[in-house]
Amino acid sequence: MAALSLTTYSQNQKRQDMIKEKVKTGIPGLDEMLDGGLIPGRPYVVSGTSGTGKSTVAMHFLLEGAQRGENVLYVCVDEPPNEVRANMSQYGWDLDKVYVFDGTMDIMSYDKTPVRDVSTERKVVTAKEVSDSIRKTSEKGPVDMSINTLQELLKQEMRNRKYSRVVIDSVTSLRRFYIKTSEEYSTLASFFRVLSDLGVTTLATVHQAEIYKPDAEAHMSRGEIRLHKWFDGRGLVRGVTIEKYRGSSHDHKMRPLKITATGIEVKTEGPKEGSKAAKTKEPEPKAVIEKSGEENQVARAESAGHPAVAEPPASSPKEEAKPPAPRKDSPPSECIPDEPDPPPPGGEQ
Amino acid sequence: MSGPLSKVSTGIAGLDDMLKGGLIPGRSYMVSGISGSGKTTFGIQFLQQGVRQGERALLVSIDEPPQEIRENVRSLGWDVGKIRILDVHPSARSYSKRVSMVEVAAQRAVGSLREAKTDARTEALKQASPDLSVQSLQLMLRQEFLEMRYSRVVIDSLTSLKSLSETEEGVENSIVSLFRFLSEWNVTTIMLSDLPDPAVLEVESLMCRGEIRLHKLMVSSKLERCVTVEKLRGSAHDTSPRPMRILQTGIEVDAHKKLPKAVLSTLQAIPAMAR
Repeated sequence: MAALSLTTYSQNQKRQDMIKEKVKTGIPGLDEMLDGGLIPGRPYVVSGTSGTGKSTVAMHFLLEGAQRGENVLYVCVDEPPNEVRANMSQYGWDLDKVYVFDGTMDIMSYDKTPVRDVSTERKVVTAKEVSDSIRKTSEKGPVDMSINTLQELLKQEMRNRKYSRVVIDSVTSLRRFYIKTSEEYSTLASFFRVLSDLGVTTLATVHQAEIYKPDAEAHMSRGEIRLHKWFDGRGLVRGVTIEKYRGSSHDHKMRPLKITATGIEVKTEGPKEGSKAAKTKEPEPKAVIEKSGEENQVARAESAGHPAVAEPPASSPKEEAKPPAPRKDSPPSECIPDEPDPPPPGGEQ
Repeated sequence: MSGPLSKVSTGIAGLDDMLKGGLIPGRSYMVSGISGSGKTTFGIQFLQQGVRQGERALLVSIDEPPQEIRENVRSLGWDVGKIRILDVHPSARSYSKRVSMVEVAAQRAVGSLREAKTDARTEALKQASPDLSVQSLQLMLRQEFLEMRYSRVVIDSLTSLKSLSETEEGVENSIVSLFRFLSEWNVTTIMLSDLPDPAVLEVESLMCRGEIRLHKLMVSSKLERCVTVEKLRGSAHDTSPRPMRILQTGIEVDAHKKLPKAVLSTLQAIPAMAR
């Protein structure tokens, strides 16, 4: 009996330690969905169509690390660092401690220039040191950027500075533009492997087409956070799901996501009625509408000098108050579909 | 460094409102829509706004010969004489011997839209040149930019440019390079494009810093137009579709009006495949 309780205790303790050790994403709601965060030293992907907030989620992840005094690295593949910094400055974040590596492609010169290795031309700098304008392709001609050179460069960089978090934005571009061999899968797997071996928790962004197709990156990663957005007739609705998470329990529901003036917010404790209502084709967040309707009613009644009218939640005024709410522009955040995929913005059958 | 980024007006007041001031300068954007949705008109209006502000604006015309564009916009009553144009509309093939691409790039001239006409020299050059490709366009633009600084460029259309470059090896990398090239020269670019195939992740939707989509719908046998901002990096934007009209004076967007219910449901009902 004593032995049994001891085992239970140590198991619980182990579990507690595990959760403590998890790497926080910097978005509280998302950490909750991930049962505490990401398991350190593993590669993860954050996927979504364009404009869903992948880069912003990735930056949250790095800032969280920087705030904890870790070294964090942002590898730009799609956008030049000056644009990334300008975009992220809109959220009022202090990016000074984020290290940035400019992995963007040079302008192609289309004539024969001697190929120069990227490591001789590009250095990791902090976001503070990033120039305000775009880096100009050298007069000497473009440098050769490939996934292999990038991998070697990261290895080299890790020797100088121990990073605990790395973001690759985006691995889609990395695969499409920087893999020059036919062994796409193994090259990419090796790239992730190198980062794992170095003990880095990696978050790679994956661009998705509007109609979902599985990506190699998702297979390779230990977990996938997928961002969704769709138009529901009233406005844009955003959501987030955990599609896969090896070695950890996770939230199986889609949760509403908001991009606010200060960054990304994920709401995890939506009312039960909301998700039930969402199961119907046309999501109607009844509870919310009725509530706001009543509030309107209260406000109106009070201003009219009849506070007593608001006391009983009468059914007829409710009907009256109902129409204005659905026409609101802002998406009803409490209302979320239960399926892993959003009602397609058109077509998934 | 921080603080709100300066914005570039699109020339359409309502759309600027939707974009919270306009586009971020020095970046490349996509304007997509089916044929007849107003893409070229949009492009000209964007360039015209630049000219009005004393900027230099360049139209890269691949889909239509320049004189046709001039005639088309004349019906809108615009004086677009100051917009400069790079005529790369493919000419009739002669199947004769071709000269080197770089050589042609150096010679093909940019004219103003006012004087747009079928120029014998341009025609001769076109016939001699290899087909237009992403690669040759970048080289031509470089040649032009070395002589003259532009702040606005419209490529009409990226879809045609891609089709023309189909045989080119590594065309995707060439497009990434073209985007990079335009950024390094600090031009605000609008690439006109057909609606992207929702099942395919096109390189341009990956690289562009924003996408504005023009919709043309038939709602109870009446033509309805609206516009959506699909993506806009580094800026908040209106996420609702807004009604759009093409008038004598150009495109008009009402950023404060909601779409009629019937139009909304039609817009939603269109499967992604046809959008």
